[in-house]
Amino acid sequence: MRPLPVADPGTPEVRSATRYLWWLAGHQLGNLAYGMFFGIAWMLSGALMPYVLGRGVDAGVVHRDLTSLAQWAGVFILLAATQTTCGLLRHRNAVFNFLSASFRTVQSAIAHAGKLGATLPKRLATGEVVAIGASDTNHIGNALDITARFAGAIVTVIVVSVILLNASVTLGLVVVLGVPVAIAITSLLVKPLHHRQVAYRHQQGALTGRAVDIVSGLRVLRGIGGESVFSSRFRTESQKLRDTGVSVGRVDSLLEASKITVPALLMILVTWLGARQVIAGEISVGQLVSFYGYATFMVVPLRTFGEALDKFIRGHVAATRVLKLLQLQPEIADPATPVQLPVSGPLADVKSGLTLQPGIFMALVSDRPDDAIDIADRLGRYTDGEVTLAGVPLSSATREQVRQRILVSDNNSRLFSGALREELDPTGRCDDEELRRAITAASAEDIVEALPEGLDAFVAERGREFSGGQQQRLRLVRALMTDVPILILVEPTSAVDAHTEARIAARLGAYRQGRTTLITSTSPLVLDRAERVAFVEDGKVIAEGTHRELMANEPRYHAVVTRGED
Amino acid sequence: MARVALPVADSAEVKRYAKFLMRKHYARLIEVVGLHGLAALAGLGAPLVFGQLIDRLRAGTSFATVDKLILALLAFALTQAVLTRFAALASTKLGELVLAELREDFVDRVLSIPLSTVERAGTGDLVTRTSRDVAALSHTVRRGVPETLIAMVSILVTGGALVWLSPLLALPCLVGVPFLVAGTRWYLRRAVKAYLRENASNSELLDGLTEAVEGARTTEAFGADKRRKVRTDNDLRENYRAERATLGLRTVFWPIADMGFMLPIASTLFFGGWFFMQGWATAGAVVSAVLLVQQLVDPVDRLLSWMDELQVGGASLARLLGVSMVGDDRKVTGVAAADERLDARGVRYSYVDDRDVLHGVDLSIAPGERLAMVGPSGAGKSTLGRLLAGIDGPRTGAVTVGGAPLVELPLEELRGHVALVTQEHHIFLGTLRENLALAKPTADDEEIKAALQAVDALDWVEELPEGLDTVLGSAKHNVSPAQAQQLALARLVLADPHTLVLDEATSLIDPRSARHLERSLAAVLEGRTVVAIAHRLFSAHDADRVAVVEEGKIAELGSHDELVAANGSYAALWRSWQA
Repeated sequence: MRPLPVADPGTPEVRSATRYLWWLAGHQLGNLAYGMFFGIAWMLSGALMPYVLGRGVDAGVVHRDLTSLAQWAGVFILLAATQTTCGLLRHRNAVFNFLSASFRTVQSAIAHAGKLGATLPKRLATGEVVAIGASDTNHIGNALDITARFAGAIVTVIVVSVILLNASVTLGLVVVLGVPVAIAITSLLVKPLHHRQVAYRHQQGALTGRAVDIVSGLRVLRGIGGESVFSSRFRTESQKLRDTGVSVGRVDSLLEASKITVPALLMILVTWLGARQVIAGEISVGQLVSFYGYATFMVVPLRTFGEALDKFIRGHVAATRVLKLLQLQPEIADPATPVQLPVSGPLADVKSGLTLQPGIFMALVSDRPDDAIDIADRLGRYTDGEVTLAGVPLSSATREQVRQRILVSDNNSRLFSGALREELDPTGRCDDEELRRAITAASAEDIVEALPEGLDAFVAERGREFSGGQQQRLRLVRALMTDVPILILVEPTSAVDAHTEARIAARLGAYRQGRTTLITSTSPLVLDRAERVAFVEDGKVIAEGTHRELMANEPRYHAVVTRGED
Repeated sequence: MARVALPVADSAEVKRYAKFLMRKHYARLIEVVGLHGLAALAGLGAPLVFGQLIDRLRAGTSFATVDKLILALLAFALTQAVLTRFAALASTKLGELVLAELREDFVDRVLSIPLSTVERAGTGDLVTRTSRDVAALSHTVRRGVPETLIAMVSILVTGGALVWLSPLLALPCLVGVPFLVAGTRWYLRRAVKAYLRENASNSELLDGLTEAVEGARTTEAFGADKRRKVRTDNDLRENYRAERATLGLRTVFWPIADMGFMLPIASTLFFGGWFFMQGWATAGAVVSAVLLVQQLVDPVDRLLSWMDELQVGGASLARLLGVSMVGDDRKVTGVAAADERLDARGVRYSYVDDRDVLHGVDLSIAPGERLAMVGPSGAGKSTLGRLLAGIDGPRTGAVTVGGAPLVELPLEELRGHVALVTQEHHIFLGTLRENLALAKPTADDEEIKAALQAVDALDWVEELPEGLDTVLGSAKHNVSPAQAQQLALARLVLADPHTLVLDEATSLIDPRSARHLERSLAAVLEGRTVVAIAHRLFSAHDADRVAVVEEGKIAELGSHDELVAANGSYAALWRSWQA
């Protein structure tokens, strides 16, 4: 087995689900072929067992031939060993086929997510992408996995039918026609069972959601009360799930019973007809034993047909869902012939009239918080807008180049799980010395000190072990570490205490010396440290100056910053 | 904050619990086992009658005799089918009953975890137990336990029939036993760990995917998509290793188990034939024996394949039971509060031994006073807040209300005195009314609306499509973090304790509206004692007294004007704010 995952998954075929599945199959043709070969050998050896046992019975109890009996018993053991070996090799290839297809799907999805960037969360709910990882990759893997047994089933049904028809046309026909009928009858119950199982899983998911909800809000419940209400509500829903479970059980028990009855009826029919043929001298006792065995065995390949059909359909549906992601295109498209963006220069947003001079430490105050966010998104080209850097429109350059020049860090910016050192320095270009400088600038020393492993500590996803204020400061460290020419910070200190905010405000300007920084805030502690403050009303810059100048001369600014009080 | 891990029950505790469940559902268990036993007995009809048929055929017989035997086969098959139906239904009913009991019991255990543990353990571990362990156990109880039970009954009945048919013919199949015993022992010792690793690597991969989607904008901003790829490839690599490990176990175990299944068939065929030639067994008995041994393969196979799942289920049960093993943190002594005065005297507290985060805090808060706590992060404000709310007890010293130590009051009574709201908030799945009424189940719409008014939330609530009946916490209607904080405060207004500890309870609300909210809240809470840990200076300015906490001590204490006049660190901060 070659090691997985492969370094480069290649470019997926996204025109249709079927083409996508063929594209996957094309990368693992060898293992698919091996799997099929061993699948055929495995199932055929199982199919031959009744024949060998029948010959053994004939040799022993009919002809009383000990040597021949020993030979047939030996053949049986050889056959069993072959079956085991082929079964194992089939399984190993099937596992590889499963993993190879599902890994390639995950890799393609991640690569495409990287291409989509900010567009992805806007266009596809997290749940849908998680479903790709949780179930769709499995279904796609299963569709390729089942090919091995599917091939075995096809060949086996043909071979066994031929053997049976050769031995006795009547009995052969009974088995060859009877088994599919028997399977069809049993499968009538499968659909209602499936429906109820889906309902059960749905309800089970909702109940789990309810329990997780209780656990997540446990601080509130234990702190303020309401335990008995939540306990009894959970109990009611749990009992409802139990009822649904029993109703699944009702259909399931019928299915279990039919799985016994239907093949048994067929076997009894074969035995009855066969016994009469034995009396008539048409077949031997041993052959009757074989027929009994074949009728039992044929259930296996035919069930595999049903299973394969189901898995192919599910695989196709899953591939369709994966394609929904792979076919998405970024909202902000790169121009056909991108130009080089200048490294520095004034950054200007035409709509608001804001201009950011190179090297400045500037603050932005807006009467409505959403306006500041809109301006930041335009400046960072997360939304389309008329924005120029040293006169060159951002829209004429690639997104990648815009990101290299301008970084927007807001409070929705995500902390990822991983070692703290790597999360704070995602590009991995700095040493600990520089990292410590950024940590000091963001006044985050206490966070690192409180961690027993310091910078090597593991950050849980979303940084959920940290308080809101701590997360904010860690985000700030990360933004500072990029050393980007133009940094736009949206409300970076809204959740930290006044002492810390004052420290950050004092250190930030010095840290960003020589590079351009825009910070949106309404805190006087921050505004007073900025070289210049722009005041935005209704989305337009209406006044600019230092904090003190604006406080003195601009009553509307004064009102927003002091919240209308003394 | 130092995290504490929740305990896990040991195997003796798990066994005790399993026995308790078995005793409790004794009658139903007997019914299930009995029905399955009878069904398995009926299942023996086919091979035994078939053996008879072979004997008769060899001796030469009539069509009439054959027909009779065929009718007997038919009768056995139908009886087996009917019994199987009722046995399966009975075991489903029992499984669902026990499962519902287990999960309800677990939720009740969760709901009685001591408050200090909830605050300190965090909810991550509990969420895992609630989702993954309950699901794993559910699979075990619904499928694993019945399947194992059926398999055991079938093995006993089929094996019994073989011995009854001819003890001599039962001997050859023993050749499989050493393979099965040795193989299974070897496998089980390794399987659980390997499969748990496989599951863990699957979850890890899934977590990575979730992060990649939710954080896609951040990834793009930092040009970190290569890192996401590397992380995914690493996760896949670990997943591959885990899959290879379990595959390796199966590669060893399956052939051994297969030999354990197949050798008995071959040896029964050979020795059966030999016994027949010696005249020790009839031909029919030999054929029946071969068929019975074949019939044993399936239940033995099923039993073995469920063994590791049962162990996984047992491990999950241990984690679920462990939740109730947290010792109670309150020593109710029967003391009663004389009045509503909150006092802290000589309070020291440490999360880790010998490293106090509070160094002898003295603080006395008069009923109706509004105290603001300010200070740099990490100074111990939140810790002091939790002690003042009676969630944890001090290492030395005392925190009392009306002379009674908070940690000696029963939880119900404590809640009547003091409540804590932190910046961590939660919106429950349910209507807005339900989200608030948990604090006061008897509250009517007027009271709820008044509480919403007090936190400036009535406006947006009335704009909701279904007002108080709007279902929150689902994808249908998401409230913003700021709105969630408002609702958390509204709950507190409804709960109406005489003392409120607010730990940055308005930090997520836009500073432009936070001050207005705090003022309207203050109007409603007139006469209540409020301790507010605040990061905005206007909150301190509006309070009766300000406590500046620095390095685990109260460095400055007094009214805003006094502190400004005293020219300490508070005054310096205030002046830069006022600039």
